[in-house]
Amino acid sequence: MSTELNGPRRVVARNPRRPARPAQVATSSPRQTQKAATRNRVIEAARELFDTQGYQGTTIREIASHAGVSVGSVFTTFASKGEILSQVMEGRLEGFYAELDRLAPHLRGSTADRLRSIYAIFFAVEAPRTRLFLSHIAAAFDWTLTSTARPYGRNERVRALLLETLVKGREAGDVDPEADLAGIVELLIAVYGWTYHMVVTEGADTQRMTETMDRQIGLIADGFRPR
Amino acid sequence: MKHISPNQVAGETAVKMPTRRALAKQHTRAKVLAAARRLFSESGYEGATIRDIAAEAGMSTGAVFANFTDKSDLFREIMGADMASLAEAMHEAAGRGRGVEDVLLKMFTAGYAFYKGQLPLARAAFSVSWAPQDGPVLRNAPQVGSLLDLITEQLTLGVQRGELSQEAEIKLRSQMLFDAYLSNYPQAIFEGWSLDALQARSRDQIRILLAGARRG
Repeated sequence: MSTELNGPRRVVARNPRRPARPAQVATSSPRQTQKAATRNRVIEAARELFDTQGYQGTTIREIASHAGVSVGSVFTTFASKGEILSQVMEGRLEGFYAELDRLAPHLRGSTADRLRSIYAIFFAVEAPRTRLFLSHIAAAFDWTLTSTARPYGRNERVRALLLETLVKGREAGDVDPEADLAGIVELLIAVYGWTYHMVVTEGADTQRMTETMDRQIGLIADGFRPR
Repeated sequence: MKHISPNQVAGETAVKMPTRRALAKQHTRAKVLAAARRLFSESGYEGATIRDIAAEAGMSTGAVFANFTDKSDLFREIMGADMASLAEAMHEAAGRGRGVEDVLLKMFTAGYAFYKGQLPLARAAFSVSWAPQDGPVLRNAPQVGSLLDLITEQLTLGVQRGELSQEAEIKLRSQMLFDAYLSNYPQAIFEGWSLDALQARSRDQIRILLAGARRG
């Protein structure tokens, strides 16, 4: 993991641990197996290209060629480039949720500190492919995005976790009972996403963004501390 | 990479004594910009090519390139002009507000109102702003800096009036306010939020972001 964090650019994105989908295995005909293999190859290739070239800078043709499949077979599996990205981003959630579940019971300290710990996990998960996350945000504004795609900011699980943390803080007397918790959650989500602008404007790394987020959380927390 | 193109110089000096040639050049530039604005709004930044823009303007690609270095240059010119008008609208709105919260809300509402009629172009701009190649140029544009300065100015005034504490962390807070303002555009673009809805969300954000600074 640490080499991934430090490397300026990832070399090859292969993930042997990624299991095949059980449902597909159970009912697999040779044709379906073939389709699942194509699908996985396309997603692997796309993950790497979106990370190195950005979302706009990557064409379906390039993805197909990188995956060693025809453009036609990409289109039989995915409706659009936006959908491919959506699947790539979805694929990273498994590890992300596992990490959250593992660490959530161990969160300690003030509400602000708990929020900082949660966001430190977010940044760590995206760290190996910061530019992929930029693609994720950029794609939300792209014309090719389909209704099945899931743009940034729609993750209900993240929303629920943040709200739960604030509610617990309120119960513990650490958060002002008058504070607008739903508003704070929305603001945190917005602030986190926009923190990534630092990658674009100044080439910030994960550490720099995490530090900035810590300060931003502190600034919001100053407002919701009980009077 | 900043330079003033010979065309711009020609355009500026032409204000006093416009030659027929300079006038023609200005006219061409305006035609290209109008065509580009239409196409960027229709097909997005990636979807619009210089070739399409030239065809839309009824001229050759060569004529387009004689006036603009590339598509990114064209887009920057359009956004730069818009953001300058936006800064003016925000400045004007700020003058009508009372107290930091009200002033910021009026400024941001003026911004949402400004883009309400041209959300597709805003969408293209956001898309570009996150792109690794063209993003830095757009985000570091001086016009973006002026918008941020308007916010900083209001927070500074708030501190001077004693409305905000001396430790208001103005720089970071201004950036967060600006980010929060921008973060509501997806709701306007994709979910059709009304001006009222945007204003309500923006008010909540401003309140939360100012709350900590109100305590001395």
